[in-house]
Amino acid sequence: MAIDKKMKILIVDDFSTMRRIIKNLLRDLGFTNTEEADDGTTALPMLQTGKFDFLVTDWNMPGMQGIDLLKNVRADEKLSSMPVLMVTAEQKREQIVEAAQAGVNGYIVKPFTAQTLKEKLDKIFERIDG
Amino acid sequence: MDDHNELLSDKGIQIVKDLLAAVETGELAKAQEYVDELAEIRESELYQEIGKLTRELHESINTFGCDERLTDLAEDEIPDARQRLAHVITMTDEAANNTLTAVEESMPLCDKVLSATRDLESGWKKFSNRELTITEFKELNTDLKKYFENNTNSATKINEHLNNVLMAQGFQDLTSQIIKRVISLVEEVETSMVNIIQLAGSKSSKEAKPDSKDSSNLDGPVVPGLEANSTVSGQDEVDDLLSSLGF
Repeated sequence: MAIDKKMKILIVDDFSTMRRIIKNLLRDLGFTNTEEADDGTTALPMLQTGKFDFLVTDWNMPGMQGIDLLKNVRADEKLSSMPVLMVTAEQKREQIVEAAQAGVNGYIVKPFTAQTLKEKLDKIFERIDG
Repeated sequence: MDDHNELLSDKGIQIVKDLLAAVETGELAKAQEYVDELAEIRESELYQEIGKLTRELHESINTFGCDERLTDLAEDEIPDARQRLAHVITMTDEAANNTLTAVEESMPLCDKVLSATRDLESGWKKFSNRELTITEFKELNTDLKKYFENNTNSATKINEHLNNVLMAQGFQDLTSQIIKRVISLVEEVETSMVNIIQLAGSKSSKEAKPDSKDSSNLDGPVVPGLEANSTVSGQDEVDDLLSSLGF
């Protein structure tokens, strides 16, 4: 149950305001060690440096989309076990299923609340520990 | 029966009667004249009909080509609407950023007030329990003075930030005005399109068209009232769906 609040989290979203919102919510939950990227193409090389412990990503982005970023992460030997939380406006059932099949650890639809973010994070860490 | 049929007018009937009389009396040359006269009446009617159709066609072409409103819409108002909508994005972006900045700057101030309060609280408890030495009391006194000063500063700043948040909400009024105008423009374009389609005489077949949308085309946020049946309506349904998949 001990969540390492110092873990490094990468926030990927093409809208800077959404990145700021997520960053602030995470900080409020005690996660202060965050970095940002504006799409999958910039995020993937950052992740490959091995500095990150957790990925929060949007789906619909120019360049590489969130779902492809997720697939790339799962396909990368060093990153494959990284927890990935998707925060997106996409609400189609088939998309949610696709994300689940690609190995997402949590799926939050926008607009969301601080409480939802906390719940999903807790759930993800619970599973990892358990 | 056609009222305008000249064959049935008094003149036409008279010619037919004369024709019949001429045939009966065997005046073939005269009969031929009457037949020609009848043919003439028939032809002039045909020309009139063609003339009418030509005029209608001409008018239709005129309305189609010279509808200034339509030209205006295409040349000026659609690009104008595009700019307006781009401006909406700019305004909402600014409002969100201003609000976020205000919140980000207020949060540490609140934290500061909170931690200073907690520090003082323990000293105050000791004081209430008469556990403070005179030196400690003097320290508490200095801390209190600082606390008042800092709190006034923090509260003033937080107040400023809250005011900025308040002012940032002005975007809602302005953007909704712009969006309303764009909606009425879209309505007008829709009406014009329907008119053109009717003029062109083609049926608007709404049904049975295969969904040409690319499946990789993402839908974005669900708009209430417009959502397809294949979408979930909120986090609870997402959670249900995922748990049905073993999550």
